[in-house]
Amino acid sequence: MTASIELQDVTFGYDATRPILSDVRLTIETGTFLAIVGPNGAGKSTLINLLAGLLKPQSGTISIDGADLRARKQADLARQVALVRQEFVPAFGFSVAETIMMARTPYFGPLGFERPSDRQIVAEAMELTDTTAFAARPLASLSGGERQRVFIARALAQDTPILLLDEPTSFLDLKHQVGIYDLLKSIQHEKARTIVAITHDLNLAAQYCDQVLLLTGDSACPANPPETHYRAGPPGEILDPEGIERAFGIRVASMRIGRERAILPLGRLAKDADQAGAEESPHPE
Amino acid sequence: MRLLTPKTLMIRIAAAALLLLVIMLCCTLAGPEPVSLRAALSGGSAAASPNPDFEILMRVRLPRVILAALVGAALAGAGVTFQAVLRNPLADPYILGISSGAGLGAMLAVISGIQWTLWGRSPVAVFAFACALGTVWLVWAVGRVTGKFHVTGLLLAGVVVNACFSAVIMFLTSIAKSQDVHATIFWLMGNMHEEDFLVLWAGAGAVGAGLVGLFFISPQLNAISFGATDAQSMGIDVRRTQLLAFGISAFITAVAVSLSGLIGFVGLIVPHAVRLVLGPDHRQLLPLSSLVGAMFLVAADTVARVVVAPAQLPVGVITAMVGGPFFLILLIRHNRKVYWLT
Repeated sequence: MTASIELQDVTFGYDATRPILSDVRLTIETGTFLAIVGPNGAGKSTLINLLAGLLKPQSGTISIDGADLRARKQADLARQVALVRQEFVPAFGFSVAETIMMARTPYFGPLGFERPSDRQIVAEAMELTDTTAFAARPLASLSGGERQRVFIARALAQDTPILLLDEPTSFLDLKHQVGIYDLLKSIQHEKARTIVAITHDLNLAAQYCDQVLLLTGDSACPANPPETHYRAGPPGEILDPEGIERAFGIRVASMRIGRERAILPLGRLAKDADQAGAEESPHPE
Repeated sequence: MRLLTPKTLMIRIAAAALLLLVIMLCCTLAGPEPVSLRAALSGGSAAASPNPDFEILMRVRLPRVILAALVGAALAGAGVTFQAVLRNPLADPYILGISSGAGLGAMLAVISGIQWTLWGRSPVAVFAFACALGTVWLVWAVGRVTGKFHVTGLLLAGVVVNACFSAVIMFLTSIAKSQDVHATIFWLMGNMHEEDFLVLWAGAGAVGAGLVGLFFISPQLNAISFGATDAQSMGIDVRRTQLLAFGISAFITAVAVSLSGLIGFVGLIVPHAVRLVLGPDHRQLLPLSSLVGAMFLVAADTVARVVVAPAQLPVGVITAMVGGPFFLILLIRHNRKVYWLT
């Protein structure tokens, strides 16, 4: 399963005169783990929805494996791209297994029931996400972390080379945050999937992702050169303290942990506000 | 993995269908006039001497029981579909204005005093049917302007049209002659009567075809329960499914309403009751709700015509009076399963 994503001069705005994204040019290679970061309203979710085919770009093209998304039917696209959304929509008390099986709906037999191969795929997805134990429980009875794993399992059961996630860890505690990122990383490696995840946690992004796309939210003035709208590259390059301070309009302190940097935002009244801008290394090389 | 299998589904449908037939037979025999099945079967209409048992069963009781089953199945099936597509547990077959549209049509037919008939149907039924479909079309057209998947827009449009038409009905009621008012109010409360077999077959064909059509989109309805965006990203043609679901359920509701007036409660409560006991999977919920809806309305109508015999109650009164407490008991007993209401 290969699927590289190519964005060429993609421009989109909900209001035609005020683009949220303008002239985004980006290639996401097969098997990459890309984090999308940036301030609220910078167009992160918009970009994910564009990649999922739920929105169409005003200009420019998005292609997967060289085929333009515009020319594809939603059903074909669903074989390439699976989406895990941020909010959970409660739906009539479906069980975990029923929810995950829904990813196979387009492949059901004539009577509307799954085939043995669908059961196989769903069982594997549940195995990988560690959701087999609560297969029979209703979705609403699960904790936030468990529920997120179920929706990742549903996306896996869609059996697509590309996985899109909109803030997969936003409501989770630290243990479940790293749990989800470990899961995504293992999916990336074991299943050779391309993963694109929106996150606000720059440190987890640095620890787990191969590439980072920083959207600055400055697209409202298309006069600016594209470099000021967004930057993409490996985390060490993109998540530098000055770049973060500019994009988010805050002061940060940063610290080299090992291979990556950790970044701590510091508000005006923070205890260590005077330390902003400092970069320390606990283990000087 | 405990998932619904075709075999389980078939067994449950067969069991429910059998139960429905038993209930229909019992209700056919129940009534103020005692009839004997043996006497009725011993000689058909071909017998030389008139056979009163046969006449009562075939011309009075059976058509009415069949009509009740038909209307109950249509309302419960449409209720399931509306709840799924609108993702709203409070939705019922009348939520998009069908009831007020049909009511207005019936009212207009009565006060205009038209006397013609169309294929043996009274102007009330014809007007009600046409106005019901017209109203749904109006609500759909208004709702479509308001957004891509326009579920909230549709709901609002339905509520407003309902309120507006109800006001017109009340206005007409207040200026109409009293015997006209009585006829319309009886119709608005929902009531069963004896129908021609021809009309019954046509109605059964329409409702049956509609329910089979809905069954074939029930896997998609499951996915749409998680929202249009989720369903679309899973590769489901959301617009087509919504259009089919709304179109078919509006049609079978209009058929039911034109045959029996406004019978409330069946389309709201039966889907919830079946969902509480058997779970939310629409592949099962849709056929079984239809069958349970049919049983419920057949039983309710029998009560309506027996309890104050020889007078009759509107069946809508019974569905709410008997169904309400029954549903509350179900709700309390299964309350830990009611996640969709939280």
